[in-house]
Amino acid sequence: MEEVQIIAGLRAKDRKTTEYLYDKYSKALFAVISRIVFDKDIAEEVFHDAFVKITKKIDRYEESKGRLYTWMANICRNSAIDKLRSKEISQAGKTNTIDDFVYGMESQSGTQEHIDGIGVKELLIELNEDQKFIVEYIYFKGYTHSEVSEEFDIPLGTVKSRVRAAIQVLKKNVARI
Amino acid sequence: MDIQSYISSGKLELFLLGELTVREREEVLDFAKRYPEIQQELEDLEETMFAFDTMTGVAPAQEVKNKIFSTLESDFILKQAPKPTAARADTKVVAMSSAWKPFAIAASIAAIVASGAAFYYADKYQERTNQFTALLQDQSVMAGTLNQVKQEYDKVDEQLNKFVAGDYKRVQMRGEGFEMQKDAKVDLIWDPKAQNVFIAVNNLNDLSDEFDYQLWAIGDDGPVGIGLVNEGEKLTRQQMEAVAQAGAFAITIEPKGGSKAPNLEKLVVLGEVV
Repeated sequence: MEEVQIIAGLRAKDRKTTEYLYDKYSKALFAVISRIVFDKDIAEEVFHDAFVKITKKIDRYEESKGRLYTWMANICRNSAIDKLRSKEISQAGKTNTIDDFVYGMESQSGTQEHIDGIGVKELLIELNEDQKFIVEYIYFKGYTHSEVSEEFDIPLGTVKSRVRAAIQVLKKNVARI
Repeated sequence: MDIQSYISSGKLELFLLGELTVREREEVLDFAKRYPEIQQELEDLEETMFAFDTMTGVAPAQEVKNKIFSTLESDFILKQAPKPTAARADTKVVAMSSAWKPFAIAASIAAIVASGAAFYYADKYQERTNQFTALLQDQSVMAGTLNQVKQEYDKVDEQLNKFVAGDYKRVQMRGEGFEMQKDAKVDLIWDPKAQNVFIAVNNLNDLSDEFDYQLWAIGDDGPVGIGLVNEGEKLTRQQMEAVAQAGAFAITIEPKGGSKAPNLEKLVVLGEVV
């Protein structure tokens, strides 16, 4: 099914299209969420809400503002980050800064176990240390590039170019596998 | 501009990660529209991210899917969505889902239940529509009544204003001195300045259909007919024709519709202006 057809079907509230969307994208979108929210139950809850949100807000999606997957992945990513923040707040009973929740995450769960999935090691194998670092923080820990820049005192431009370089390597690896 | 260095700036990646400001996003979209290389790179990168996400991801549990679709159940529209143009791609979709059979069964059951619900609600809808129409009719009748009442009210209000503002003379017309109806009693009030005349019938016998009571203003020029009196309308104000000058008022019985000159043999009541 072409992207145009998916979008038209979703807007028409067609069940079959929604199922197709689920079958094609649920794994990737759930991955986006799971990278940020480690608790499986909570991640599934976030995914449920985000997927429902995607189908409900499809009318607000503008084709001219980017591809469908990017739009959906951003909804998932933002839902996950929101959840993490609200969860931290309710657990700690105080307003945490983004640093708190990021540090909290690191101590709760290491990065390594989450990138152990099949093929992931191979995907990441050719990244150099700098690139791996960037992928870990931006992809797996939900940092924004400016947070990485501030947190680790890396110039913004450098963060950007490392993101770029890392994704280029991933691109090559993805094509190879 | 240097397209290659723009592509290598890392901006496109951040665009896909949703990390750009609104202004920067607009810029990326604008460039993508203008430079096919940028558009191509953006699409490649998205493909990469999607592939990466799919490869690194684990499918969410089946219950999550069930829950999502039961949440969405009420949103799905029953009628077939417009047929996608590429039928081939369509078949592929079905093939991709290994669990299509239980789906089809579940979907059929859902469709049957939903059809039942649709009929039920269609019926309800019809019923409500009828009720609504009936209410609309009631409402329009009431609006008519209200309008009528309002007009009457306006008339009364205007009369009341005249009473309050006017300088009225009260003339009591009595039948005591005449043969016709000894107990006839009609009150008249008259504002000579505004020339308004009202009467209130207190007691007048009913007449047969061939006759009318006619009110006369008797002035320097003799009696002038100023309207027919409705004897049935007791004790309410009846406005008569304008009179500027009169020494007395009288009511006679005249043939239906009234006469030009009063039939004095059938004089019922008379009252002098004091």
